Amino acid sequence: MDNIFLLKTGWRSIWRNRRRTLITLSSVAFGLLVSVTFTGSADYAYTNMIDTSATMGFGHVTVAAAGYNRAPSPSLVLSGCDLVLAAAVKSGVRAARLRIVAQAMLAAGGRSSGGEVMGIDPAVETGGFNVFLRDIVRGRMFTPAETRGALVGEVMARRLKLVPGRRLVYTTTDRHGEMVSGVARISGIFRTGVSGVDNGVVVLPLARLRQVLGYGRDEASFAALFLADQRQSRIVRNSLARHFTGIGREILTWRETQADLAGLIAMDRAGNYLMQFLIWLLVAAGIFNTMQMSVMERRRQFGIMQAVGMAPRWIFFLVMAEALWLGVCGLAVGVVVTLPCYLYLRHVGLNLETLIGNDYSAAGVLVDPVLRLRLFPETGLVIVGFLFFIVLAAGVYPGLVAARTRPIAAMRQR
Amino acid sequence: MAVTEMLRMEEVSRIYRRGRLEVRALDRISLALAVGDFAALCGPSGSGKTTILNLVGCLDLPDDGRIFIEGGDIASLSSAALAALRRDRIGFVFQSYNLIPVLTAAENAGFVLELQGRPRAGIRQRVEEVLVEVGLSGLGNRRPDDLSGGQQQRVAIARALAPEPAIILADEPTANVDSATAAGLLDLMERLNAEKGITFLFSTHDERVMQRARRLLHLRDGRLV
Ligand SMILES: Nc1ncnc2c1ncn2[C@@H]1O[C@H](COP(=O)(O)OP(=O)(O)OP(=O)(O)O)[C@@H](O)[C@H]1O
Ligand SMILES: [Mg+2]
Repeated sequence: MDNIFLLKTGWRSIWRNRRRTLITLSSVAFGLLVSVTFTGSADYAYTNMIDTSATMGFGHVTVAAAGYNRAPSPSLVLSGCDLVLAAAVKSGVRAARLRIVAQAMLAAGGRSSGGEVMGIDPAVETGGFNVFLRDIVRGRMFTPAETRGALVGEVMARRLKLVPGRRLVYTTTDRHGEMVSGVARISGIFRTGVSGVDNGVVVLPLARLRQVLGYGRDEASFAALFLADQRQSRIVRNSLARHFTGIGREILTWRETQADLAGLIAMDRAGNYLMQFLIWLLVAAGIFNTMQMSVMERRRQFGIMQAVGMAPRWIFFLVMAEALWLGVCGLAVGVVVTLPCYLYLRHVGLNLETLIGNDYSAAGVLVDPVLRLRLFPETGLVIVGFLFFIVLAAGVYPGLVAARTRPIAAMRQR
Repeated sequence: MAVTEMLRMEEVSRIYRRGRLEVRALDRISLALAVGDFAALCGPSGSGKTTILNLVGCLDLPDDGRIFIEGGDIASLSSAALAALRRDRIGFVFQSYNLIPVLTAAENAGFVLELQGRPRAGIRQRVEEVLVEVGLSGLGNRRPDDLSGGQQQRVAIARALAPEPAIILADEPTANVDSATAAGLLDLMERLNAEKGITFLFSTHDERVMQRARRLLHLRDGRLV
């Protein structure tokens, strides 16, 4: 008995009961569609949130002085920044930016507010890696020549009655813990949509903040590194860690710098997998049931096969060949059904604004109201592989039942 | 032991137990068939015909007594060896629904050859031969559903015949066909017996079929009479 004969017999056997097979195939296809939609929308949303969160300051990977992430302070200074940037570029990051961040008291026209100042380099920063530049709603970004320029969030601007051109005084502590202050003139106002940020962050020129805080030319709070693909964060971190071990620096991924977001994603992902698992279980139960039925209906046939000398093992393989075909065909149908849906949701998306509104944020990141999918190729393979495995697994017990058919008993019932 | 002995049963008993109920289906049966025999088991319903064929066909084991096939005691064989013995030396024809519905007549006829793992070309050639032999040449591509009852039994005989077995066991092979078809099937079996020397043991309770047998084994209540 060879495999081709088994596959041929299995193929014809599943089509003996066309209706049942079509139902089975659609349930496999349905499982694929659901899995791709669930996983794809989650992967898209996570990537979106991670990328957006990265542009709010820390990047996907952050290089800082040791201890900075646990207790950020102006006295924890990252030095040798040029070396860090050079190493980052060598390890394939898309962009590397230096930033200084400090808690500050912000005052204007007799009003004041707590917040944070962030120094960035106007010569290199762009909206692509910096949400504050991207989301300017009034005025404009300060130029490298404007050494006292500043961007302020919309909410704080309203509270402190700031408009472009107005003065703002910031007071903070320098690297030695001494109180220092500086004056800035508002160049633009941004609106990220995340109220904590729009009410807290003031963006200043990096060079100016260096002077105020007493940092050297080659110093900053941290270097924010941006990757083309956030999933590479760990790899890049590890490769950089090889450069910088044991010299008072720490290299972090977004998981550490954005622990809230990482926790939210982990929870959501677990819930998502649980849902999918339950759906897969349903699919498997359906297939198991139909296969079991079809095996019970063919007891006499399996009895005769054994009587004429077919080894039980081969009868098992015969049923598994049927499961194999159900898996292959079900997934083929599934791909045909899923692909157009996927491509639509990948490139066009489904606008859910009316359902969830357009200002919903989670873990400090604005959530896109448009349902879009993005499936990483390896995730797609895992889904297909897992569904295929499920179908095969559903065939195992019916296969064993078929293999254990006792010819005499099977033949006695007509 | 004579090499011309096909099979022998010595004091074979088979008792079916269902709960506390015991059915003594066979009661110390002894019989022997020589190579080339054309023998019929006959007797009323429930007399033990199918039970004997199951035991001789190594599908069932006796509760007592010994069974020898071509001189070998089947009690000493593993279940794999029994399956191989059935596949290679014994042909089976059952009363009805013998065939695998999703396979064509030719594929059914070649089924045991597939099990034996013979090469494709050899199988095709042998199947053509046996289909001619059973009078079905040209019908090889039909599915069982598209064949008459008699034609289906001929395909079953072709399947049994294809691996050139030593013995063909047939449990009421003519019970589900009309008498003209039954006569045709018996002609076929007789010819195969005469020309190929294949031993036949079949069961029947049809008088006309009994008359065609060269040896009659009468069973009643699990005993030979
Ligand atoms: N699996 C079984 N369990 C219980 N009793 C059985 C079983 N198989 C057969 N019997 C009993 O054993 C006896 C002999 O049965 P067997 O099938 O051999 O008779 P038979 O001569 O083939 O009858 P028929 O002409 O109806 O086919 C009967 O009384 C039958 O009821
Ligand atoms: Mg019977």
